[in-house]
Amino acid sequence: MKTIRPPLVAFAAALGCALMASPAQADGEVTCNSGPKDKWKPMAELRKKVWAEGWQLEKALVQGDCYEVYARNEAGQVLEAFFHPVTLKKLIVYRRGQEIFRAKGFDPAG
Amino acid sequence: MTLLPRATAKAILWLLLAVPAALMLRGLVGGEALPMDLLHPSGETSVRLMVLAMLPGPLIDAFGPNRFLRGWLSIRRNLGVAAFAYALLHLAIYVIDMRTIAAMLDELGLPGIWTGWLALFLMILPAAVSFDRAMRWLGRGWKRIQRLVYAAFVLALAHWLLLDWNWKPAAIHLLPLAMAWLLRAWRVSTKVTRERTFA
Repeated sequence: MKTIRPPLVAFAAALGCALMASPAQADGEVTCNSGPKDKWKPMAELRKKVWAEGWQLEKALVQGDCYEVYARNEAGQVLEAFFHPVTLKKLIVYRRGQEIFRAKGFDPAG
Repeated sequence: MTLLPRATAKAILWLLLAVPAALMLRGLVGGEALPMDLLHPSGETSVRLMVLAMLPGPLIDAFGPNRFLRGWLSIRRNLGVAAFAYALLHLAIYVIDMRTIAAMLDELGLPGIWTGWLALFLMILPAAVSFDRAMRWLGRGWKRIQRLVYAAFVLALAHWLLLDWNWKPAAIHLLPLAMAWLLRAWRVSTKVTRERTFA
């Protein structure tokens, strides 16, 4: 007799995992409302800002209208953070998909 | 008609399967890519190979065997083992990226991380018995062991989803399998109904 039980059990397990995790915003969907690029601060200043946080920068890039940073904190934790390109304010930080910091009043969906 | 000797065909297949890994390693060694840049491609390649390994079974159940599907089925074990090899590559890149065991242990409890570890562990046994002699030894039990791959696949998708929170890529990988499973379930149910009607 054919059975489709293993996939169903696995789906239930995956659903359980998803429910246990606190949902975060997909990184491609974070919006910073940063306006025209000629008003943005240069990446070099962003690097200084990351250094001032006590983080070790791995990679910095433009993601949508935000600056996105991959870095490690002093505890060696891998972080993904979004900064406002004009103010360089730290807006939101994820650790392996889990949100661990959000600036007061910031809505990542814009 | 056999165009190539079996061993040659297998060597060509493995050469092709190794191409993405070679490109990734070239990027890493050449300094063009950071270890973290290769986490996605290595993991995705593993998931894609799992999909390719899992598709021919339900498709044959749904459409019946034809030359194309039989050929696909004949390389299924290779695809499965390659999926495991890419999962190991994904792990090796993760270890390089994390640098220390302490850092890896520190994040082990995060759902996005332990789902990946569990998916990898579930793949070990099916991959370890993916050779002819093990198939003969294990008989019907071999198929039961291979079913662990279903759970590994879903956990791998959960791992992906929990890290990215972007459901579209994971859904795209699940879609062909979900359609094949549904098609098989539909074919089996209509066959049973027809048999009952004519019994």
